[in-house]
Amino acid sequence: MARSPLRFLVLILAISICHAAGIFHPISDSHRSAALDLFKPVDGSFASLEEAYEALRTFEVLGIEKTAELSKAICKSVLGTLESSSSTPKDLFHALGVNGILKCSSKEETFEDQTSKTDLHLSDAEGTFRSIKALSQSDGRWRYSSNNPESSTFAAGIALEALSGVVSLASSEIDQFMIGAVKNDIVKLFDSIEKYDDGTFYFDEKLVNMREQQGPLATTSSVVRGLTAFSSVITESLNLPGDKILGIAKFFLGIGIPGDTKNFFDQVDLLACLENNRQVKVNTVLGSHAPPLTVTLVRAFSSSARDNSIIENQELKFDPQDAVYFLDDLPASFDVGEYIFVFKMLVQDSEQQTVYATGTLTQVPIYVTGLIKIENAKIAVLDSDLGSVETQKKLDLAGESTVSVSANHLQKLRLSFQMSTPLGNAFKPHQAFLRLRHETKVEHTFVVGSSGKKFEITLDFLGLVEKFFYLSGRYDIQLTVGDAVMENSLLREIGYVELDLPEPPENASRPPPQPVDPYTRYGPKAEITHIFRAPEKRPPEELSLAFLVLTILPLFGFIIGLLRLGVNLKNFPTSAVPATFAVIFHLGIAAVLLLYVLFWLKLDLFTTLKTLCFLGVFLMVVGHRTLSHLASASAKLKSA
Amino acid sequence: MAKLLLYLTLATSLIPLFSVAFSPENPTDRRVLVLVDDFAIKSSHSLYFGSLTSRGFQLEFKLADDPNIGLQRYGQYLYDALVLFCPSVERFGGSIDVASIVDFVDSGHDLIVAADSNASDLIREVATECGVDFDEDPAAMVIDHINYAVSNFDGDHTLIASDDFIKADAPVLFQGIGHSLNPANSLVLKVLSASSSAYSANPKSKLSNPPSLTGSAISLVSVVQARNNARILITGSLSMFSNRFFRSGVQKAGSSIKHEKSGNEQFLTEISKWVFHERGHLKAVNVRHHKVGESDEPAIYRINDDLEYSVEIYEWSGTSWEPYVSDDVQVQFYMMSPYVLKTLSTDQKGHYSAEFKVPDVYGVFQFKVEYQRLGYTSLSLSKQIPVRPYRHNEYERFLPAAYPYYGSAFSMMAGFFIFTIVHLYSK
Repeated sequence: MARSPLRFLVLILAISICHAAGIFHPISDSHRSAALDLFKPVDGSFASLEEAYEALRTFEVLGIEKTAELSKAICKSVLGTLESSSSTPKDLFHALGVNGILKCSSKEETFEDQTSKTDLHLSDAEGTFRSIKALSQSDGRWRYSSNNPESSTFAAGIALEALSGVVSLASSEIDQFMIGAVKNDIVKLFDSIEKYDDGTFYFDEKLVNMREQQGPLATTSSVVRGLTAFSSVITESLNLPGDKILGIAKFFLGIGIPGDTKNFFDQVDLLACLENNRQVKVNTVLGSHAPPLTVTLVRAFSSSARDNSIIENQELKFDPQDAVYFLDDLPASFDVGEYIFVFKMLVQDSEQQTVYATGTLTQVPIYVTGLIKIENAKIAVLDSDLGSVETQKKLDLAGESTVSVSANHLQKLRLSFQMSTPLGNAFKPHQAFLRLRHETKVEHTFVVGSSGKKFEITLDFLGLVEKFFYLSGRYDIQLTVGDAVMENSLLREIGYVELDLPEPPENASRPPPQPVDPYTRYGPKAEITHIFRAPEKRPPEELSLAFLVLTILPLFGFIIGLLRLGVNLKNFPTSAVPATFAVIFHLGIAAVLLLYVLFWLKLDLFTTLKTLCFLGVFLMVVGHRTLSHLASASAKLKSA
Repeated sequence: MAKLLLYLTLATSLIPLFSVAFSPENPTDRRVLVLVDDFAIKSSHSLYFGSLTSRGFQLEFKLADDPNIGLQRYGQYLYDALVLFCPSVERFGGSIDVASIVDFVDSGHDLIVAADSNASDLIREVATECGVDFDEDPAAMVIDHINYAVSNFDGDHTLIASDDFIKADAPVLFQGIGHSLNPANSLVLKVLSASSSAYSANPKSKLSNPPSLTGSAISLVSVVQARNNARILITGSLSMFSNRFFRSGVQKAGSSIKHEKSGNEQFLTEISKWVFHERGHLKAVNVRHHKVGESDEPAIYRINDDLEYSVEIYEWSGTSWEPYVSDDVQVQFYMMSPYVLKTLSTDQKGHYSAEFKVPDVYGVFQFKVEYQRLGYTSLSLSKQIPVRPYRHNEYERFLPAAYPYYGSAFSMMAGFFIFTIVHLYSK
């Protein structure tokens, strides 16, 4: 419960400090568009009053027009909040904030009602001040409430805001000693400030296990908001180190465009606060007019030779119409290159020196670019022993023409050209590469060295044979010349050289594998179909049938022969019993033969053998009877 | 009481709806751990994070040296993906180290690594584990004196406007270090490569030796898809994700076209969709095979059978499974080496099928679909099936070529029958 009135105070009072800022100088167009992107009203209104307040405040600072319908909708909810008696202090604060911006026509009595409530809390200003101050810690940080032992920087910001509010609204004079103590705390707080390498300062939370994690942006903004509030209500100025203020401003600007609405609000609001409070002039970022300044170009020197400065102590002239400082005359000796200009800003008016914090020495790197002349480009093939020129060709590096030369491993290739700046001085670019690319995509890069204006590279193929992996054939020559200050950087296919290198020895190193095109690596594979075993060759069916007939013909010959011989069946038994046995015997033989046919057609071996067993026994019995009858008959015949 | 029971049933039935994590049925990542050097990145790169959050990802921001970070707890991974936006970290806090990141990827999780100039050895080591080698010179940056972006704040041509990728609307801004890929590594792929005039060197010092990385061999952004379909994005520029680069216009040097907005936002959003498995994720279901004219799946095939193989392939669109349409899905009938490799025909609704004859070789075969395409997860299906030879009674009977033999045997038998009668009873 102890927190709630404190928060209420903080919130009420923060409005009075920041809400008059109304600065219509956008930081940049990108901030504007980002703001519009982020604070998009849902269904023509914002989800909560807090969001609405943040959006409207941002729009106000950035000077973005709000639509009439939107303001109407928000006004409605504001009035609703103000009239209802059950609104939380936080809602009331946001409602009042929105009201301050939109100037909704609200009933006077509502305001009075609210004011009386505020007075209620402020009746004992001195006491409140003391109780808030009691929360401060020795290192400048503050606790959230009396029963929470963890101190935080974020809370320090809130507390400072609250204190300033108490001071501004208190009827009686607050004890100067107390204010002095708070100032002391602020100085201590600044000791805990964190620093980036580029001179940017920010506050960060040391504690990790906070109930709600506050990022450095939120923390810093809270502290700065508290500070500006506090310094605006106390009579004497706070003596804060100027470079730290500048560093904090840099931090906010350096963040760029945040994407989170909350962060965005923090950033924009804080920059507005800093600007409004006139404590720091933020590199004219928010665009308000600077007081008369003397800007001196202290030195300008080339980045490569830091000791010899080219210009020293020139005062920049001020053009009041465009509010631009400019350097009158650049020395004619300025050549292309990278320079660093060191500017110094001094406030002319000594009264304002206390109000503004200025960056003392500002270093600005400046690139002076120009067209570089490339002339006398030549390519030549030399004989290794004598150094005599075998073939020499002129190159036109500006045109499209290409050259072709051929060489073997006993020769040298020489490429030379001249480069000079527009003023005729020697110029050495950062990038001067000669690249030889073989047909197999194996590349070799060489740096072209220079002496003065003349650039020359000689490739002795004898020493490079190994490096070239003994790859003979066509090498494309590519020349790349480029530099940051060279406007006509070039990448040219000069032509090609046909190299005739010796055969690689046994243990020569193989050229490195070249990257494969990923599309070919993952493409579909060639289809595979199985090759089936070819069936055995067979004679045509007609031939088989013809031979079938031929195999059957002897049977007919046999039958015809028997008939021609005059066979008869006179020996067939005449009496009934032997005749029956004879018939059964022959039927049995026929059955065995039929069994063979059936075996061929469908029966398996086991059935056939089983059946054959029975038939065989049967045949033996009847065969024995028949044959013995026939034998006795013939014996009788012989004996007779 | 009845009301309470109703609430309980409602609550339990809703639980599956809320626990939307990576699963085979819903392959998009959900929980992402973002490790940063400094929480300022959260706001300076908020457009990128915002695009992820708006697509339903739960981002958890932690400082890289936070002592309480960890990728897994009780053997369960807490996150589906890891974003390393901490180029200068020397040692991770908590239980994270290079080995645990490699394990994270090996178990099928995704990773985004953004380095920067002065990237720490740790980040380089992570990249090396992924098959990407950053330029060893710590001060080197990619410089391009021809394809640089015209800008107010960069004088040494390290801000590169690259449009060397598919369907570039506007060039992509890049400022950072280059890396090279091992050509033998088939899993890593260059997405954005430098132009042939680029080189990787320290812009502040003069060059005496040729730089180790030159031309289009320099890769600016690379992706890896591991064999377990884990996806990795590696880039040498953290600033290409920043709001400043997302919002700034691009004018390529020597070109009069000034693009209002750089291609970074579109490029990185699309590529993050791929990395987090919102795109290019395939699944195969209903793998079937049967003899032509039948519908049941046999346990064994005989040589020379005609069979039909079919599979259904679907592609994950981020929200649902859509039929995958392609004409290059192939099936292999495989025993030691493919005996048959056939392209499946599709009905354009995700159903793929092919008919072929079983080869006349018996043994244990496999139906294999090894589908690897650029940008898609690889499909690897295999199903074992034995193939037997003919049974003894399955060979051909009554060959015409054998009729003379049959004929001679039967005429012989007929002759024998006649002969027995004639021999016994003729007088």
